[in-house]
This record gives sequence, C-alpha cells and structure tokens, in this order.
Amino acid sequence: MPFSPEVENCRLIREVIDAAELVRTVRDGMDGAIVTFDGFVRNESHGRETKYLEYEAYESMALTKMKEIAAQAHEKFAIDRMVIVHRLGRLEIGETSVFIAVSAPHRGAAFDACRYAIDTLKKTVPIWKKEYFADGAVWADGELPPAPPGGKPAS
Amino acid sequence: MLTLVAGDRPSGYNFQVPSVLPTIRVKILFFGRLRELTGFTEETGEVLDGATLAEVFQTYAQRFPKLAGFRTSMVASLNQEFAAWETPVRAGDEIAFLPPVSGG
Repeated sequence: MPFSPEVENCRLIREVIDAAELVRTVRDGMDGAIVTFDGFVRNESHGRETKYLEYEAYESMALTKMKEIAAQAHEKFAIDRMVIVHRLGRLEIGETSVFIAVSAPHRGAAFDACRYAIDTLKKTVPIWKKEYFADGAVWADGELPPAPPGGKPAS
Repeated sequence: MLTLVAGDRPSGYNFQVPSVLPTIRVKILFFGRLRELTGFTEETGEVLDGATLAEVFQTYAQRFPKLAGFRTSMVASLNQEFAAWETPVRAGDEIAFLPPVSGG
C-alpha cells in the first residue's frame, strides 16, 4: 500500500521494508536534504553468532508512541516530512528492522530530527526483540522507559 | 478468573460491613519475557475498585511468583500511556506490564 506521510507517517509491518519507497514519499520540491536511518539485524550479539531475531510489539501503543515521536520531531526541528516504519516478526541477518526517513529544506534539521527519532524510539516505543543463537535464545537488553512521577493518573 | 486486589480505602471505611467488595473489570497485558512467564498476552481480570497498578501487579506476582523478580526492571502502562505505579485503575482500563524496550 502506498505510504502518504501527510495521512500516515508511522507504520508497523510484517513484510520487508521498502526503503526506497519511503525515501520517495518524503521527497518534495521545498526540500534540499533527506536523511535516513536504516537499522538492520546484526550477525552477532555480545560475541555470539546470531541466527535470527524475532520482534514483538504492544502494537497499538507502539504506533501511538511512534506518532508522538514524529510530532515532536516536527515541533523541535525545521523538517518537512518524517516517516518511521518498524518491522515485526522474524527477521533474518541483514534485514531492516526499522527505517526512518526525514526531509528538510536544509540538512542540519534532517540530521538532528533523524537522530532524535531513532534515539527516542529505542527508549520509549514498546517493541521487544528476542535474539536466537545456535544454542538458545535471549530477550535483548533494553532500555526502561521513564515512568511519569507518581501520585496521579497519567493523562 | 477472579483477581482480587486490596485497594486503598478512604479513612473511615467500615470494615464491619465487608459483604462483597466492589470490583471492576480491566484488561491486563504482558509482553516479551513477562508474556513468556505468564503464558498469555492478554486477559480480562477483576480487581478491587481503586486498586493501584502496583497492587494489580502484586496479585499477578502471587499467581506467577517469577514475575516478582522483574518488578524493578519493568514499567506499567495505563490505557497505552506510561503510568506511575501508584496510579489507581478504573473499570475498563487497559493495563500493560512492559519489560525494558529493545526496538530498533
């Protein structure tokens, strides 16, 4: 399905991520730069050879958090468009798990926004990966999202 | 199944009249290694009205003792927003217990 950043800028998918298509969707006449982040499956983890990974997500919340990241990026940086796609399910070595593309009139904002988006995604989006090795599997070390201060319900 | 959680009672609550404590139905979700421990992603649980997220978790830690060891390395969410453990839950709420995230 074609991706229209004005309508939908974040997506969780179970198919191969089409990076070239995502780059095309953020490219526009007013822009002068596109920065992308391509996160893909490494062949080792802490010195052990990885066979493949499995990703799972709290999908509804993950999508909400991804959209928040894109919205915050638009507030913080002078960018044009941003798309964030994360893949779920089984991924083989070398396959892209997350792809972010950002366009902007000038490169600085695009670099900053892309960095902000992937760093924030890794801290706050409820997605988990399990690493499969020849002799077992482990859940990857992750980051604990900051919980709001106690006492009252989160809005 | 019935999960009862001791909620915070306002002072003056009359323990002489226990009868049936008011309970509410909530949706409970576990992910990643916590899902593997409980053996399910999602269930509808019945908890005492006014129970906090910490108290809801405590009942699951009693049911699945291995969960207790993860208490300090997890966060809770309420209706898809990260929430403090002291937050009280309401009928129909969606509660999730989340291990450290490792997307990307």
